[in-house]
Amino acid sequence: MTTEAEKKTVSCPVDGNNSDGKDRRSFIARFSGLWMGLGLASGYGFFATIIARFLYPSSQSSSKNKSWQFVTDLGSIQQGDSLTFISPAGDKAVITRMNMKGDETDFIALSSVCPHLGCQVHWESNNNRFFCPCHGGAFDPKGEPTAGPPKAAGQSLPKFTLKVENDLLYIQAKTKSLV
Amino acid sequence: MGVIGNWFKERLPLSGVDLAELTNEPVPNHMRRWWWCLGGTPAYLFVVQIITGILLAMYYQPSPETAFESIERITNEVSFGWYIRSVHKWAATLMIAAVVLHQMRIYFTAAYRKPREINWMIGMCLLLCTLLLGFTGYSLVFEQLSYWGVTVASNICDTVPVVGGTIKQMLLGGESYNENTIPRFFILHAAVLPTLMVILIGLHIAILRLQGISELQFEDEPEAGPKHFDFFPDHLYTELIVGLVLMILLSVLATLYPAGIGTHADPLTTPEHIKPEWFFYPSFLWLKWFPGTFAVLSSGFIVFVMFVWPFIDAMIVKVTKYKDFYVWVGIAGVFMLVGMTLWEALH
Repeated sequence: MTTEAEKKTVSCPVDGNNSDGKDRRSFIARFSGLWMGLGLASGYGFFATIIARFLYPSSQSSSKNKSWQFVTDLGSIQQGDSLTFISPAGDKAVITRMNMKGDETDFIALSSVCPHLGCQVHWESNNNRFFCPCHGGAFDPKGEPTAGPPKAAGQSLPKFTLKVENDLLYIQAKTKSLV
Repeated sequence: MGVIGNWFKERLPLSGVDLAELTNEPVPNHMRRWWWCLGGTPAYLFVVQIITGILLAMYYQPSPETAFESIERITNEVSFGWYIRSVHKWAATLMIAAVVLHQMRIYFTAAYRKPREINWMIGMCLLLCTLLLGFTGYSLVFEQLSYWGVTVASNICDTVPVVGGTIKQMLLGGESYNENTIPRFFILHAAVLPTLMVILIGLHIAILRLQGISELQFEDEPEAGPKHFDFFPDHLYTELIVGLVLMILLSVLATLYPAGIGTHADPLTTPEHIKPEWFFYPSFLWLKWFPGTFAVLSSGFIVFVMFVWPFIDAMIVKVTKYKDFYVWVGIAGVFMLVGMTLWEALH
């Protein structure tokens, strides 16, 4: 003969037939599944972050530092003349002398990199313009856009900063890190 | 059957009948016509690309100092190097053409409609992968077109708001073209994209087998009678013939028009006349017509519309009750693509 309390114990859901037990079991399954899923996602997420950091070039390889670099002495370039300057980091500038006052306002130094998509422009003396052969961009002698996508987007040729000290012309351009 | 035949039979218990049963996908009658086998054509050419690509990689040296010289060596010194390289180049051209034609056939027969929307989108991914393989391929030569193509492409990435700069740096391995760039393009071209292609082709074919090929009824075909034939051996023979014809065509093209090599890349001079490969003519012209960011974002929008076209089409049909609107959109699209390609080719 069994008491009521013993009956309850006997009918306890060892095999999971009881709905309370089912709920508890499915709750535990879902809860643990959720945590395992989160664990996996964060684990693989962390792994993906490491991959992204690996692929992204380190800042040491970039060349953001600029310095003053010697170009030429003022006597060697006359009004209307131009010369090409290439910095150690590979920047190419076309420097033209417009006046003969003897300071940096005499000169204009334009980057030869087209601001549209990065091709090299070249000077067309017969058309009195810089021309980009990639997508047909054109610029006047001061670097202002006159045709093609740069004109539509209002993109001028980037200018370099110049200075004159002791009759020597210097340009501010990127340097390449040696370390 | 001899002793050897029996030995194999015991270990590989397959016969023609078994193969026919294993592959007994019912192939619709319209695919008896070989020009409807354009789906298999790029797959065949992809296999040609893998084989010739592995061979070329035996000699190719992916660095700015050695890439151009190694390709010169493949072309001029290695036995049959010119042939393997030319087949690789021509197979790429034909593969892009075949993928585009296959997509047109799917489009104009409305085979992308329910329930095949997902397979259309996988097909779009395959088209983009094929174009990227083409682009990364000619970037490896380190001739002028390679260098300036990569420069323009990386700056195209840069025009994308927010993430563009990061994509550019990860693609180039630096702020501008540098010693990390060619190895990255080589890995993309020879490992990442082909692996992605194999996975996508597997999915594309698996879904095709699960859903069956969309069926077409031609006017000259009798209504009665069987509408399908067996994959093995009937369709396999058709594909083998297509493969044989392609191999002959590739050999003829490679022999008559072998892949040349341009001028060594010069980072300080963009050549007077520069154009990408023909399959990028429309986007090249688009970039000439419109300013950078608008051109790039509008191109992205067009590709997005192509991706989700099955759903847009379903909506148009639901609202207008007119089923053939897609035909007019398709005709306009083809005219534009062909027109822009011809325009750029002739100018």
